[in-house]
Amino acid sequence: MRVLFIMLCLSSAIARAEAGPSVSGWDLPQLMRSLGQVHASEGKFVERKYLSVLNKPLESSGTLLFHAPSHLEKHTLVPKVEDLVLDQGVLTIENKSRNIKRTLVLEEYPAVWAFVESIRSTLAGDLPTLERFYVIKLEGDAAGWRMQLLPRERQTREIVREIVIAGRENRVTSIEMSESNGDHSTMTVVEKAP
Amino acid sequence: MNLRLRIPVAAWLAFIAACALVISRSQFTADMSAFMPRNPTPTQKIMVEQLRDGVVSRLILIGVDGAAPAVLAQISKNMAVPLRTSSELVAVNNGEQVEMEKDFQLLWDNRYLLSDAVTPQRFTPGGLKESLSAYLDLLGTPMSGMAQRVLPRDPSGELIHLLEQLQGQGHPAMQDGVWFSRDGRRAMLLGQTKGAGNDLDAQERAMLAIRTAFENARGALPAAASAQMHMTGPGVFSVESRASIRDDAWRLSLIATLLVSSMLLMLYRSPRVLALGLFPVATGALAGIAAVSLWFGSVHGITLGFGVTLIGEGVDYAIYLFTQIEHGGTPRNTLRRIWPTLRLGVLTSICGFSAMLFSGFTGLSQLGLFSIVGLVGAVSTTRWVLPHLLPQGFSVHTSTRFSSGLLGLVRQAPRARIALVGAAALAAVFLTMHRHALWNDSLSSMSPVAKESLALDEQLRRDMGAPDVRYMVVLSGSDQESVLQHSEEIASIMRTQVQQGLLEGFDAPPLPSRAAQEARRAALPDAALARANLNMALRDQPFRSAVFTPFAEEMAAAKQRPLLDRDALRGTALGLKLDTFLVHRGDIWTVMLPLRGVKDAQGIEQGIRRASATPFVLLDMKQESEQMFRDYRHETEKNALLGALAIVALLSLSLRSIRRVLEVSLPLAAAVIAVTAWLLLTGHTLSIFHLIGLLLVVAVGSNYALFFDHQCASAQDRERTVTSLLFANAATVLGFGLLSLSQSPVLSAIGSTVAAGAVLSLIFSAILIVRSDR
Repeated sequence: MRVLFIMLCLSSAIARAEAGPSVSGWDLPQLMRSLGQVHASEGKFVERKYLSVLNKPLESSGTLLFHAPSHLEKHTLVPKVEDLVLDQGVLTIENKSRNIKRTLVLEEYPAVWAFVESIRSTLAGDLPTLERFYVIKLEGDAAGWRMQLLPRERQTREIVREIVIAGRENRVTSIEMSESNGDHSTMTVVEKAP
Repeated sequence: MNLRLRIPVAAWLAFIAACALVISRSQFTADMSAFMPRNPTPTQKIMVEQLRDGVVSRLILIGVDGAAPAVLAQISKNMAVPLRTSSELVAVNNGEQVEMEKDFQLLWDNRYLLSDAVTPQRFTPGGLKESLSAYLDLLGTPMSGMAQRVLPRDPSGELIHLLEQLQGQGHPAMQDGVWFSRDGRRAMLLGQTKGAGNDLDAQERAMLAIRTAFENARGALPAAASAQMHMTGPGVFSVESRASIRDDAWRLSLIATLLVSSMLLMLYRSPRVLALGLFPVATGALAGIAAVSLWFGSVHGITLGFGVTLIGEGVDYAIYLFTQIEHGGTPRNTLRRIWPTLRLGVLTSICGFSAMLFSGFTGLSQLGLFSIVGLVGAVSTTRWVLPHLLPQGFSVHTSTRFSSGLLGLVRQAPRARIALVGAAALAAVFLTMHRHALWNDSLSSMSPVAKESLALDEQLRRDMGAPDVRYMVVLSGSDQESVLQHSEEIASIMRTQVQQGLLEGFDAPPLPSRAAQEARRAALPDAALARANLNMALRDQPFRSAVFTPFAEEMAAAKQRPLLDRDALRGTALGLKLDTFLVHRGDIWTVMLPLRGVKDAQGIEQGIRRASATPFVLLDMKQESEQMFRDYRHETEKNALLGALAIVALLSLSLRSIRRVLEVSLPLAAAVIAVTAWLLLTGHTLSIFHLIGLLLVVAVGSNYALFFDHQCASAQDRERTVTSLLFANAATVLGFGLLSLSQSPVLSAIGSTVAAGAVLSLIFSAILIVRSDR
């Protein structure tokens, strides 16, 4: 499985970081604090992945479940049932129809880890972890914010170009990822009212 | 000194020289295999071979900790460089991608030969459609990056299939590009030595190479001063226990010799006599080692360590002689008086140790032979050499107050008879009640390895994700191809058993048989057909068909690829694995399939037997080793019982009185029972080494009992006898008491058992044996 990781590292071009406009007034720690106050949340997602090997986007939808600080579940219902569970740094991907269960210890897959952490530490309001992985640029205000994440690690930059997480108040509404090879994906989240 | 007297001394000197010559040419070993049966069952043979020189026995696990992770990673990388080219190691792995790339390349280039999913069906439009749809699922997960990269050249998904098969196997975590423990505090390396596990000198050289590499790597980094390295593995254990037994044996015997010597010097008041007193011990030890070396071809470290224990008993003979020379008497007169008793004592000890001599285990029979020859050597030196060397008119003076006080105590002792018999009976009842919890049959109880080392080994194994293997399917054949074919047949049966939940998984040699590789190569379509089938499979799929252009070329190349052989895997992690699981010894090829997470061993075995006629063995290392040690112990118990009967018979013949036989045996039996009960109460379970200790208690104690039983000519004579017993006992307790402080579990078990047993048999003899002197 280590080999998978090597392949992840090998598979990419050189990263390019972009600078965003600066933020004034309302700030990042404030945003993270308000996000941190949500201990559990649940929502529906629609994800579109634009991949160079495919001639049309890969569309999927299902539910998301988060329990602070480190338990995240992504249940895909359409087009196929698939469960993705993150707990204590271990990512389990289970495809019941194929009877396949993959377990990744995230530390061994820096790029996957970085991507998963971008979502988890945002939901948990965990600023130190987020800053360990990314250079963060925040735009907008509490009513509508947009956070641009640029990977710090070289290995991650070879795969992930940038991640943009947008939201309102203490809710995440969308996650966009651009990969270095030109692939990109967007996930929009509609949260269930608590 | 006239000629008649010189002959024994000259003969003795010649004998010593001969022993020294034999010993100088002896081989010393310390591996566990000496404690394996001499006539093993086929299953035991496999296990013993594995422990002795199997590849598992050549692995050294290395952990580096005590510094920041980045520093540890650098040390690991710097260490690996010289070790990869070291002549003592065939491989060293620290998880660096340098090595993994070689493996990855091997897997990638040979994926169609290696993957057991390759069948003609796999490359039909239907088969490819299925694998493409599995890819599509993977593209939706965070693993889409890697999936996309291999997809164009490997649409049937062989690489992913191969990697998934490898995934189930435990491996360490990664940090900074090298293997780390899960908690990130220890960098991990794995070495495989060139020398076999039982070639201790080669193991020691490999350990030195590793240590040197570590010291150099640490020295080169300023932040690494606090870093520490730990090593573990079967060979490391053997080397360490050889060293610790050797060091402890030396150190403790030196201290014991000093203490016993100081005591004896006060008693003898003559350095010359003191030196003479050590002659029997030295002779006995030399004769014992030489005899073992001649008879067995090599001497086990434990036997050697046992040599020190002989100080306890060997010194006694000289003490009995020297202390009992009456004022104005000669050594010869004294010997005439005490020789029958001394001789009976030695014969009794020999009966006891013969229990070990006839053991089916090399280690124990070595100890038996060593003890018997050692005692005979010691007592012969006392009887025939010492009298010629003692200064004229030598006798020991002890203070009268001390001696008469001692005798007074001895006279009072029988009052405690009823209490003692009652206590011994209670202890016997206690032992009978706990007879099932008495023995520790686990392999580790036999191991001469200290508990801390075992704990470290377990820790490093956990960090490495390489738990101890308990179950293994083992099959043998006359050539590599047939044994690989058979193992593939069994592997396919076990794969269905994995799905049925009988086990979690298993490892197999990473080299398919030639037959399997040929079948897979033949199953591949040619370039044109591959292209056509793929195009049909891509219909109604969201993939861009242009992406798959390289696939047809890949197929064409794969059909031309030569079959994989052992050489192709050399120098990779897969090659190391192959050497572990496929072993060539003599004319026999053996394949081992270690099983993981076994739920139903019996079900697995029966399932394979039902589905296949291939002969195989399902080896349960734990059960097998425990069974082996149970057999071993039963045999030793039986022999010990026979030895006890022989002792009783011997005593009956010599003493010719049932009452005297009972009187002499009772204190010994009571001492053995009391010591066993004490060990149990202090939380020990008995190992074979405690049993050896108990045999020594009988050997040493029988002298006490016989001297108490011995009829003395006068009160002075009795005084001298009792005084000599006390000093002999003090010497024994000093020697063995020190041994109980040893780090080596073996030496410490023997030490504490004998020290306690010797004191008790002396006291019990005084209490239970009433002899009316003339």
